[in-house]
Amino acid sequence: MDQSVLGAHPRTPTEAIDAFLADASLAPLVAAHRVLEARPPRYGPWPVDLDPRIVAALRSRGIDGLYTHQAKAVETIRAGRNAVIVTPTASGKTLCYNLPVLDAVARDEAVRALYLFPTKALAADQLVELRALADAAKIGLKTHTYDGDTPPNIRSVVRAAGQVVITNPDMLHAAILPHHTKWFKLFENLQFVVIDELHSYRGLFGSHVANVMRRLRRICRHYGSDPLFICASATIANPAELAERVIDAPVELVDDNGAPSGRRHILVINPPVANEQLGIRGSALLTAQRLAERLIGDGVQTIAFARSRTAVEVLTSYLRETFAPPPGHPHTIRGYRGGYLPNERLAIQDGLRDGRVRGVVATNALELGIDIGGLDAAISVGYPGTIASTWQQMGRAGRRAGTSLSALICSSAPIDQFLAAHPYYLFDSSPEHGLVNPDNLHVLLNHLRASAFELPVPAVERFGIDETATLLDVLEEDGWIRHADDDRYYWSHENFPASDFSLRSGAPENVVIVDTTGDRHRVLGEVDLFAAPLLVHEKAIYIHEGVQHHVDRLDWEERKAYVTRTDVDYYTDADLGITLKVLEVLDEADAPPAGVRQRGEVMVAWKVTMFKKIKFHTHENVGWGSISIPEQEMHTAACWLVPPADLVNRYDRDTLDGALIGLARVARTTSALLLMCDPRDLGVLAQVQAPFTGRPTLYLYDAIPGGVGLTERLFTLVDDLIRVCREAVDGCPCADGCPACVGPAIEVGHRGKAVVSELLAGMN
Amino acid sequence: MIAPRTLADRIAALRGERPRPLPPARPVADDRSAGLARWLGAELRVADVGRVVLVERSVPLPPGTAERLSGLPDACYVDTETTGLSTGVGTVAFLVAIGRVRDDRIVVRQLVLPDYPDEGALLRLVATELADGARLVSYNGRAFDLPILVARLTVHGLFAALAAIPERHDDLLPIARRLFRRPLGGARLADIERGVLGIERVADLPGAEVPGRWFGYLRGGSPDLLAGVLDHNLQDVASLAILEAKIVHLRAGGWRDAEVIDARGMAAELLRDGAAADSLDLLALALDRSLQPDEELGVRRLATRLLVAAGDLERAEGIWRDATRRASVDAASAWIEVARIRERHRHDLAGALEAAAAASRVLDLAFALGRGGSVAEIGRARVAVEGRLRRLRSWVAARERRADRRTAAA
Repeated sequence: MDQSVLGAHPRTPTEAIDAFLADASLAPLVAAHRVLEARPPRYGPWPVDLDPRIVAALRSRGIDGLYTHQAKAVETIRAGRNAVIVTPTASGKTLCYNLPVLDAVARDEAVRALYLFPTKALAADQLVELRALADAAKIGLKTHTYDGDTPPNIRSVVRAAGQVVITNPDMLHAAILPHHTKWFKLFENLQFVVIDELHSYRGLFGSHVANVMRRLRRICRHYGSDPLFICASATIANPAELAERVIDAPVELVDDNGAPSGRRHILVINPPVANEQLGIRGSALLTAQRLAERLIGDGVQTIAFARSRTAVEVLTSYLRETFAPPPGHPHTIRGYRGGYLPNERLAIQDGLRDGRVRGVVATNALELGIDIGGLDAAISVGYPGTIASTWQQMGRAGRRAGTSLSALICSSAPIDQFLAAHPYYLFDSSPEHGLVNPDNLHVLLNHLRASAFELPVPAVERFGIDETATLLDVLEEDGWIRHADDDRYYWSHENFPASDFSLRSGAPENVVIVDTTGDRHRVLGEVDLFAAPLLVHEKAIYIHEGVQHHVDRLDWEERKAYVTRTDVDYYTDADLGITLKVLEVLDEADAPPAGVRQRGEVMVAWKVTMFKKIKFHTHENVGWGSISIPEQEMHTAACWLVPPADLVNRYDRDTLDGALIGLARVARTTSALLLMCDPRDLGVLAQVQAPFTGRPTLYLYDAIPGGVGLTERLFTLVDDLIRVCREAVDGCPCADGCPACVGPAIEVGHRGKAVVSELLAGMN
Repeated sequence: MIAPRTLADRIAALRGERPRPLPPARPVADDRSAGLARWLGAELRVADVGRVVLVERSVPLPPGTAERLSGLPDACYVDTETTGLSTGVGTVAFLVAIGRVRDDRIVVRQLVLPDYPDEGALLRLVATELADGARLVSYNGRAFDLPILVARLTVHGLFAALAAIPERHDDLLPIARRLFRRPLGGARLADIERGVLGIERVADLPGAEVPGRWFGYLRGGSPDLLAGVLDHNLQDVASLAILEAKIVHLRAGGWRDAEVIDARGMAAELLRDGAAADSLDLLALALDRSLQPDEELGVRRLATRLLVAAGDLERAEGIWRDATRRASVDAASAWIEVARIRERHRHDLAGALEAAAAASRVLDLAFALGRGGSVAEIGRARVAVEGRLRRLRSWVAARERRADRRTAAA
């Protein structure tokens, strides 16, 4: 039967999306729906004096004009100013740096450039792209990646002759800088340093990378070069600030995006409530599956993003069952995880272009700049953690012409539910801040050691902070370096300091949950180290995708929890004992009368000692058990708030206790939104009688040893924090607490929500 | 309000420690280098870029050493002592020794770095000394000592000095490995000294302690800490010359009387020198001795290669026929080698078939007697033997058919 004759079957993706949106069964799930209108391209002036071979190469690819951001970037870089380019996915960002770099190399073959990408896959990708441009321009560019995959015989060639060296910060840290004499051709002539995916260099990793840049600049100074830095970032609130922190120099912001786009529908979808008591909703994964099936079935090319590899596998196999090809034909649904080779990606890309691939399921490896072109629809299964990554994922859907659809499917996690209830945060608030703290003492001391290995440090040199000399004395005292008579500090130890630490460590690793129900063990998912004692202690009931699992064994050393499927009528609730000791108050701000707002350094220790078994519906306590997991300790930064005394005196201790739990919950969720951070990077603790203040206190701390500046920034945003918390609580339609605001009433008490609201009002 | 803490307090807290008392003040910059020179009985070279302590010592060489070396271009025997084992730029050579053979002695100049700021002076002096020779001789210097010197010269921007270092660099480690590693079970210089050169070190400083000695001296320790390092280093340099002379001697026919030598390695060296006949002699001699099975196999293979190259196919076959007398997998392998020589080089298919059939019979026998290899080994050998046998049979049959056709046509 010819469906088009019936008029029921949509013919184009645009018609299919319109039909999808008009479907009545979708409406109950939609928490928000926005439409972004189509935008025509805008062009900037063509750069003067561009090497004619490059102009010809661009023309041959059909590029007759540069978009406004590309033109501005080229102009800024050629004027000798550092730049940070901030434009959405697939807007021709790489041309912004490839153009001026290739032009400079074409003029003077001695010119060198260093490209940094956070992953090897991205570096391999860029190599292909840069070579293609150079080949099209018939410029014999010597470029190669330099990382763990580079064969030894090619390495020495890259060191001596590579004009554009493509690598990652880890290689720069451990293999290039400590051997800089082998690279002196590069460092003598280094004119450009390209840092792509700048937004991924935040938190502890970013703090390390900023120090690697300090070391790089020292070595460049030694060899007499002074490179320009070209950064490219996804949309974040403070790209220029982040770039300036990372490269420690002024940068010019290039963010006037001139790339065209078609009409875009943005949906926030919230699956219906499955468990009233706990506020648990239906599975985001299964909802995603249903939506993707409908869209793909109607010929809408769709990409779905899942947060874990496991979820990618599950969703891929579900969709493959639905869209099973005839025997002997390749699957039309492709999975994409990190670590795929460029060829596999090219196959997906080609498949999407010619229609052989109808759907892709990906982890956030694709979010990170790997270009597979635009699709018709993008589905994010669960909030990716930041507004910036949400927009990056959503940006995968979008054609230059025609309508596209992007949907965020909320999970049961508090932050997802907050966004479902307050979707305007996604649409209207600025995305998060990318924060780094290059002066984190842990980090700084390690890099100062590595730096002293690379070149002696004069006592008057400033490395990051003014008190560098004090740090040098500390390192000397510990026997790492020697203060010689010429007033320089020399590396004076047998070790190779760059191998003593990794740029990506320091962040606590996750605990892997292994399901042993079937014949073969399989990984269900992960929980972070801070939450693990609460969620996967032995005998805990761990709920995953709505299915109960019993934790049979927790191997703390191996960071593994072994679970089996079960079906019981209770859930478990562990008591987490967090102690927090204030070590130093670093700053204090105006607070309402008799209230306190401070920030400083703290020591946080946490331990889980016992859990309760609580029956569904009746909430009877039907048993308990003890937990033996060693105490964890961390020195970090924190800020804390004390509500005015006359306000808290109105409530009894139990009421206040519950309310503080609710306050902590909503504060953590909203803080993570205000800062560019994963909620897991932020710890929170409410104490009814805090030893330090002697009063009810809400502490928020950086859940990373040494701190990365999260709460330092939050301290300047306390007014915003309280305002947003009030909106979250007062604007929530629930009666007395739900996961989207303060948490369910069984956790915060029946007056919990009301008291939180009063406390917030009094603190404003 | 608590009192603001100092950075030092924060550092201490970060490490979970109490602030430590200040370290004792560093001794004033008295001229420790002069003291060091006095203690070591050395000369102190003072340049405007720094000071270098120069110790010159000479050691008698065993009789004949200088004579054996006299045919080679004038060498600088080089060994460094460093602050670590990584070749990253932060590793510094604090002692560079350069030995020159003069008459029957080796004269070693040990350049000692009094402190980091003097490194430029030391490196300049090192480069000048090295430029005076026609080549460098070292033990693992290609991978270690020289890269470190190059890195340090580059850091100091001493490119002219770097360019003056002779290009020829004879690293003795690779050849010492080929000649001695298998028989000695190792090829560290100390292994060679003990097993080949007959040098026994007394009270030698373990290499791992070397960096700590210099750090200890820098931090105010006695110059005596370095005395042991200098002795250790002096012996290293002297051994280099003695080892090179030993290698010259072995190559020049000394291999005939050598007690410790890897036959394959030495034969390869002789071959490299163009002495194929000597190489064969050596292998034949080696086969007369009792060798380890895997070593014997290697020696036979190399000897076969040499004989085939020399066109002496009869002797090449003989190398293996000696080994076919036992009922074992090895004997079957030897028959296969014979078959290969007959097939490939003598173009004698019938003979090859005969040898392959013999291999098959040896395997049957070995299996029946339950010796000469595990069942799996025999099984694997069986697969190889039967394959070759089948191939040879079909070729021989094909040739016979062709011959028959030719006869019929005629």
